[in-house]
Amino acid sequence: MRKRSKYLLLEIASPFLAIFFAVLVGALVILAIKKNPVEVYRTMFLFSFRRLDSLAIILFGATPLIFSGLAVAVGFKAGLFNIGIEGQYLIGTFLAALVGFAVKGLPAFIHLPLVILMAMVGGAVWAWLPIYLKVRRGVHEVISTIMLNYISYSLIHFFIAEVFMDKQQGLAPGVGNPLIRLPKIASTALMPKMHGFLSLFGIDLPDHVYLNWFFPLALLLAVGYYFLVWRTPFGYELRAVGQNPAGAEAAGIKPGAVFFKAFLLSGAIAGLTGLSDLLSYFGYMDLDFPRGYGFNGIAVALMGKNGPLGIVLAALLFGFLNRGAEGVQAFVGVPMDTIVILQGVMILSIVVFSEVMGRFIRQQEKKEGLQGSVVL
Amino acid sequence: MFLSELLASAIRMSIPILLAALGAVYSERGGVVNIGLEGMMITGSFWGAVGSYYYGPFGGMILAIVAACLMALIHAIVAVTFRVDQIVSGVALNILAYGAARFASIALFQKATMSPHVDGFTPWNIPLLDQITFLKPLVTNLSPIIILAFLLVPLTHWVIQRTVFGLRLRSVGENPLAADTLGIKVYPLRYSGVLISGVLAGLAGAYLAVEHTGMYVEGMTQGKGYIALAAMIFGNWSPVGAMGAALLFGFAESLSFRVVEGGAIPYQFIKMIPYVLTLVVLAGVLRRTTPPAADGIPYERGGE
Amino acid sequence: MDNPKMEVSIVQLRGITKRFPGLVANDSINLEVTRGEIHAIVGENGAGKSTLMKILTGLYQPDGGEIYLNGTRVEISGPRQAIGLGIGMVHQHFMLIPRFTVLENIILGSEPARRGVLKDKEARGLVEELCRRYDFKLESQVRVWDLSVGQQQRVEILKVLYRGAEILILDEPTAVLAPQEVRELFVNLRNLKGQGKTIIFISHKLDEVLEIADRISVLRRGRMVGTVMAKETDKRQLSEMMVGRPVFLKTEKSQPRVGEERLKVKDLTVLGNLGRPAVRQVNLTILAGEIYGIAGIEGNGQSELIEALMGLRKILSGQVLIKGQLTSDKSVQEIRALGVGYVPEDRHRRGLILPMMVWENAVLGLHRLRDFSRPTGLNFKNIFAHTNRLVREFDIRLGSVDLPVRNLSGGNQQKVILAREMSRDPGLIIASQPTRGLDIGATEFVHQQLIKAREQGRAVLVVSADLEEVLSLSDRVGVIYNGEIVAEFRPEEVTPEEIGHYMLGTKSLLREGVGA
Repeated sequence: MRKRSKYLLLEIASPFLAIFFAVLVGALVILAIKKNPVEVYRTMFLFSFRRLDSLAIILFGATPLIFSGLAVAVGFKAGLFNIGIEGQYLIGTFLAALVGFAVKGLPAFIHLPLVILMAMVGGAVWAWLPIYLKVRRGVHEVISTIMLNYISYSLIHFFIAEVFMDKQQGLAPGVGNPLIRLPKIASTALMPKMHGFLSLFGIDLPDHVYLNWFFPLALLLAVGYYFLVWRTPFGYELRAVGQNPAGAEAAGIKPGAVFFKAFLLSGAIAGLTGLSDLLSYFGYMDLDFPRGYGFNGIAVALMGKNGPLGIVLAALLFGFLNRGAEGVQAFVGVPMDTIVILQGVMILSIVVFSEVMGRFIRQQEKKEGLQGSVVL
Repeated sequence: MFLSELLASAIRMSIPILLAALGAVYSERGGVVNIGLEGMMITGSFWGAVGSYYYGPFGGMILAIVAACLMALIHAIVAVTFRVDQIVSGVALNILAYGAARFASIALFQKATMSPHVDGFTPWNIPLLDQITFLKPLVTNLSPIIILAFLLVPLTHWVIQRTVFGLRLRSVGENPLAADTLGIKVYPLRYSGVLISGVLAGLAGAYLAVEHTGMYVEGMTQGKGYIALAAMIFGNWSPVGAMGAALLFGFAESLSFRVVEGGAIPYQFIKMIPYVLTLVVLAGVLRRTTPPAADGIPYERGGE
Repeated sequence: MDNPKMEVSIVQLRGITKRFPGLVANDSINLEVTRGEIHAIVGENGAGKSTLMKILTGLYQPDGGEIYLNGTRVEISGPRQAIGLGIGMVHQHFMLIPRFTVLENIILGSEPARRGVLKDKEARGLVEELCRRYDFKLESQVRVWDLSVGQQQRVEILKVLYRGAEILILDEPTAVLAPQEVRELFVNLRNLKGQGKTIIFISHKLDEVLEIADRISVLRRGRMVGTVMAKETDKRQLSEMMVGRPVFLKTEKSQPRVGEERLKVKDLTVLGNLGRPAVRQVNLTILAGEIYGIAGIEGNGQSELIEALMGLRKILSGQVLIKGQLTSDKSVQEIRALGVGYVPEDRHRRGLILPMMVWENAVLGLHRLRDFSRPTGLNFKNIFAHTNRLVREFDIRLGSVDLPVRNLSGGNQQKVILAREMSRDPGLIIASQPTRGLDIGATEFVHQQLIKAREQGRAVLVVSADLEEVLSLSDRVGVIYNGEIVAEFRPEEVTPEEIGHYMLGTKSLLREGVGA
């Protein structure tokens, strides 16, 4: 048993090696534009960790990534690569916004859960077609979900610009053009910030921080994910199908059915990704609603090795990178996009490191597993 | 006239897809799935514009090819040498390419999303044929890259089917272990398949920026790398089939521009056409295609 | 050949040692092979035969020892160099590319070409000349996926001849062949020997080795036990050398006490992967308390038949009744719930989830039973108790049940499957290639378990490519050829030769009324 923990340590080490490697590559990139990497990284840390508002902003920034990371991870566990989180959360966010502004007069304790539910339904609906095409027609989910991402961009654009655009934006006459956006969401559907709760503990956050209750909700979901995947018969089937569908099938588990459930679940979780921004930050959905959480979710799931704790930590890391990059852009003049490179390198190096490490561990285990039996 | 102009525009639209799909043929016949085509195209489109801006269109092509090849090299190292899941590697590459292009664009042009205008090659006319009125839109004002792309189709077919390299490349895509026991070096062949796909995807991106648009715009590839992959699958992993599929996608795209002019359908729906078509095509044909037997499976000597 | 010791050894191995994590596969092995002889190397699975041959063909590098060819010391760094030295390997699992033609398969890696462009005509001429010289009947333009197993083997042999091999290594070449095909192979091999080629013949089938070989070397647990002249030895001596103790060559079992029908298959037709019927109009009945064996060359519909019985493949027409119940509209899970234990032919693909833990595999397919699942989740206490019971009862050797099942040896993996499938008290056991790749100890254990199941009144269906195994285990044997059961026997009524005719389709006559 002590040996297991040794392997665990090795397995945990690989993300850190990957981060270290990415930091080195990042340093080279920064050097290439003639800036001082040490100063950049120092600024990043100081800006992120020396200020209370920065810490809260990191948590706020991590919130959507925990959702999208969990969504990707559910897929991975079943052996599916849901690269369509992007489209799924846009559709989910749109449906949520729709119910948020169109339905009026509901008390908050009904309206808010209803909006959240709609987001999940939207995500699941958008996940349905690719998994149907995979199970019934053999279309690889990666290509179909990417196509659906593009389709969702256009669809959302159409609905926001042509159908539901808010024509009565209270602009003072002569002050700019009206935004291409949906009407504002009713206050009963908005998610409150955590400021009041935190002030009970003497933590007073400034107003420009939008840390809200979706953050604890995301943590709760991570816990739920753990129980589902590792403690329930469904999770067992999910993992069995993910690692060997043919073997699972021979044991009486229906891979197609598991694929369906897993992918719809993944889509439903994906649907939650945009809510923290929608219901707490913007209060409406416009054409420039943040994109890219889906792709970052892939990075988060890979970094976190599809484990709940790992995903939360990876999401926090990305929240930190984002916040830090803001500081770096403002104070050192290095473009924020450096961190996109950093993320790309991190994904590549994390998969390489964990592959190498995994192979090493398998070898070691094999050595121990073969006590007394001759095998070739 | 309408028809021939439509066809001419279809051909122009199909070129980036065709080039990248031909690249995918090399990569996948050698057994490496290349989702990273999109990223290589992004890279190609950006560096193509940069090269063309500083050194003219020829320099643009060269720079695009070199840059996309570097991306392909990363894919090969990660997916072939380290045997990481090829799809994960490709997706990561796409994210990296997107970030790198943005970053470099800021560094070089002080703008993340576009480059200044760049010059393309002097267009060619095909003599004699350009005298025929009906053919005129098809054979005049052609980018040399268009002609090159179509020449590459029979060339690729010949390379894959009739040369030692092609035979060996196919063998490592079908059964790398068997090839290995015959003394064929699996990794170098898989590397070369991926690198050739980098060359062609880079060229595809450069065509898009330098020849088709006259500048680099962020996100200008619009998923064409993925569509190219679908075209290659639709074409059953063969260069001629890929050409047919690329023309089909090109036709759909050019048709959509015509429809926009009509204004009957909201343009957001028109924009969806290539993506919907890709889904329909894949859903319709996939069962009848046969990928190389070892496509997507990392090879390890004496493996588990 | 008359006095091999007089001649120079063409191959000489001195002190070859190869270690893998956790075991020594070859322990200072010495071996001499004389030019122009057929030299057999025998040993159990896991004795180190394959490792030794992989060293000889450069796939593995030895950790110690020396290799001499014609008296000169050589280092063999890879297959290409091995073939350059005249050593060619004919693999047990064919190294062919099904989509390629015979010609492409043969020339691959040593193509006649000018400036990188294939010279088709020349290649075809070379290959056809080879076929003529060694009397191999093959069409060079046919795709390999259209060839029979015996023909594929000939392509493999041609591959190494094409490369100018003087020494041919054949790894278990008869494992997949019917007796008549073995005969044909032996004619080919004697032919090659007549033309001066040296042949190293790896096998664990002693009868065949005694027939074809001039000399026989025996490996046991990675060590060379000795080399004997084929003429001067016999089966008993060889098997003692192989196992290190006297071996009972016959499986002992009592007269069957049969009961009611457990499995009835009526006019069953099933499609294969290519959309053509792989199982045609199959009829068979298996009773409680008997073992029914299906013999046949691989790829004649066995896999598809089993998959159809288990609900893993759609039935095109006909019926399957298990314990009197029609299974056509039942899922795999429902079929298993009727009391069917299933030991799949490919345990890595179908029988286990390799990366999952031993305890997880011990309840695979049982995980939804009330014992193991509660509304709140999996019942880990019961699952571990169950696993530990299986480990005890089936003597599964492992470090911990909380390690991936991947780490277990093949025999112990098979025990996990058997133990799991038996734990449900099945009325019918379907075992496909149950001892493939196992060493003698594990094979014996599996055989005992199947016979024990029969004695407990279970019905057992065994499919095996190993004719000897089918004949020794079964109470009745059906021969499958091209998707049809072409004959049914009691094993004591037939010779292997006769069964071979049916396996090859040269004879087809279904005798009636052999059943209970």
